[in-house]
Amino acid sequence: MKRTFLAVLLGGILSAGAAFADPTVIRVGYPGVGVDNQPYGYGDTASLAHVGKYLEDAFKDNPDVKVQWTFFRGAGPELNEALAAHQLDFAAGLGDLPSIVGRSRGLKTKFLLPASEHGSLYLAVSPKSNINTIDDLKGHKVAQFRGTNLQIASDAVLEAHSLTEKDVKFVSLTTADGLAALTSGNVDASFGGSEYLDLQKRGIVKIIYASKTDAPIFGTNSAFFVTEEFEQAHPDLTQKVVTAFVKAAAWGSTEANRQQVFEAWAKSGVPVESFAEDLQGLSLARENTALIDDFIKARYADKAAKAKQYGLIKKEIDLNSWFEPKYLEAALKELKLENFWPTYDANGKKLTDGAVESQKQAAAQ
Amino acid sequence: MARIPPQLLTQSLQSSAALAADQHAALLLGGYHPTPTGDALMQETITEAGVVRARIPALDNLAAKDHQQPSAVYRLAIFVVTRLGPGLILPLVLLAVWQLSATYGWLPDQILPAPALVLDVLQERISDGSLWDDTSISLLRVLRGFTLGAGIGLALGGALAASPRLHDYLNPLFLAVSQVPILGWVPLLILVIGIDEGLKNSLVALSVFIPVTLGTFQGIRDVPFAYREVGQVLTFSRLQSLTTIILPAAVPAIFTGLREGLSNGWQTLVAVELLASTEGLGFQMAYGRQLFQLELVIAAMLVIGLIGFLFDFLLGRIETHLQRWQVAA
Repeated sequence: MKRTFLAVLLGGILSAGAAFADPTVIRVGYPGVGVDNQPYGYGDTASLAHVGKYLEDAFKDNPDVKVQWTFFRGAGPELNEALAAHQLDFAAGLGDLPSIVGRSRGLKTKFLLPASEHGSLYLAVSPKSNINTIDDLKGHKVAQFRGTNLQIASDAVLEAHSLTEKDVKFVSLTTADGLAALTSGNVDASFGGSEYLDLQKRGIVKIIYASKTDAPIFGTNSAFFVTEEFEQAHPDLTQKVVTAFVKAAAWGSTEANRQQVFEAWAKSGVPVESFAEDLQGLSLARENTALIDDFIKARYADKAAKAKQYGLIKKEIDLNSWFEPKYLEAALKELKLENFWPTYDANGKKLTDGAVESQKQAAAQ
Repeated sequence: MARIPPQLLTQSLQSSAALAADQHAALLLGGYHPTPTGDALMQETITEAGVVRARIPALDNLAAKDHQQPSAVYRLAIFVVTRLGPGLILPLVLLAVWQLSATYGWLPDQILPAPALVLDVLQERISDGSLWDDTSISLLRVLRGFTLGAGIGLALGGALAASPRLHDYLNPLFLAVSQVPILGWVPLLILVIGIDEGLKNSLVALSVFIPVTLGTFQGIRDVPFAYREVGQVLTFSRLQSLTTIILPAAVPAIFTGLREGLSNGWQTLVAVELLASTEGLGFQMAYGRQLFQLELVIAAMLVIGLIGFLFDFLLGRIETHLQRWQVAA
């Protein structure tokens, strides 16, 4: 009798313990690290969400849910490997080319919302170099982080100047190694992002090409993705995560926060002035918009077509079933941000105005 | 005593019969007149010259057949099955496990592509010539580095063995340098030499030089004193002593060093091409990884492994050829 009672008690305690199950861990991956391998990103709303702890705040009343960020030094390609090995639930700020490559290889993800658009591509050379235009690149050694969204953008730029990857000797180097290789003269030129602006300021490199003065196809993009596995298992958590990302994007698009946005990005080690220069005369909302409009859809269609053309992917991808706007729309409704951002058509022409712009104008007055 | 294969048995009987005949002939010359032994099995005939030829009729047919060697194809097949066969079992098992993994999805197919996919990509790269391009570039690099490293290694190893004083001066530094992993030199060498061919040549040469020096030094040092004494007794000059006694005796150790050197050199080249290159097999591996086409990585690995195996096999044959003067105990 006593033994049975103890057994029942023990069973009860154990099963009660089981009710306090292991917390659900939301594993978020970011493709990139800061200068000196710091776990911080820059240039997109994903890094703003990380620094501002938007995800952790969304779940602070929920002790069963934990958020875990991982920063990948190998950027998009390494993040894809983690996705394939089922080690991540969300990819925050994954670049356009790696996400397209991943999808063509059968990675099951859903496109939730963009993390950055019109990202800058710069071509940097040594100040004494005799390379002055893209055409001069022929036959030279150029550093480039292969497999990232820089590759597809650079290939498009080369194509516009009637060059292909075979005309240039590309060396695949991470962001940090590419900087080092250019400054030590081991490569003749380097394609990269806003991290080169500081070097130009210090006279170490000369930037001879900037994509922001060129057509939108030459800009880089990135977005937020969720694995189909996680989405089907936890649609409620997915919604909360998307809402948190949209909040971060809204904060990051408000002009009044411009300085703080740059400072948040500067945690990666890239100086504030670089971002100021990169986005000079351009609105934050243009870069940090969270809308899935015709423009971003057209950009991804472009990039996918070019990726097939350059032989970077073997199979065409199905774009339409990739975009999953329902979480975004629910988040916009919840946060009352339906008309916050302007929408653009496929060519970048504005279709509708956004409330965020009138804020800017109000601030300017 | 080893088991004698049948065809050798007849041959040896034949030759011992011939030997017996020769011995008879020798005795004849010394004035001995043989008489047939009258053995039922063996027929002896004494020719006019007095030479005895012995035959064993029962084995005649076999002997006649033996003059036709088994066909080359048959001999190659026997060689493959008996010598290479055991070594092929494990790779075939691994291949089976790989195929099972692909069929049942034990590992995601983006991480471990199916064997059929790897075969496809190999065929593609062979047919458009890109595999040969990359392989030839890598091979040239390793041969250049190997020649440089082995040349210096042989010379230095010989010098260290010849001069104990030089050995005392250089050995500690040499040991220290040989402990540093080759890839540890990369950041320093990139600053000094850049990422061009010079980097690959020097790193491959360095990785080859260390085992070759050690092998040569030990090989020459370990030549038994008895052998050197023979040279002294026969009043060989230094050069004669070197080429006739010391080098042949040191061949096993020198070749061990050369084989390890070539293997190291090949591995180092692939590693350097992974880090800083614009073409080559290692570059293909890195490229495949960046573009999430891991079948490119595996295809490159297969080619690299095969070439490494061929290098070792080739050096092994050269060593055997150089040691043909050795009488097996």
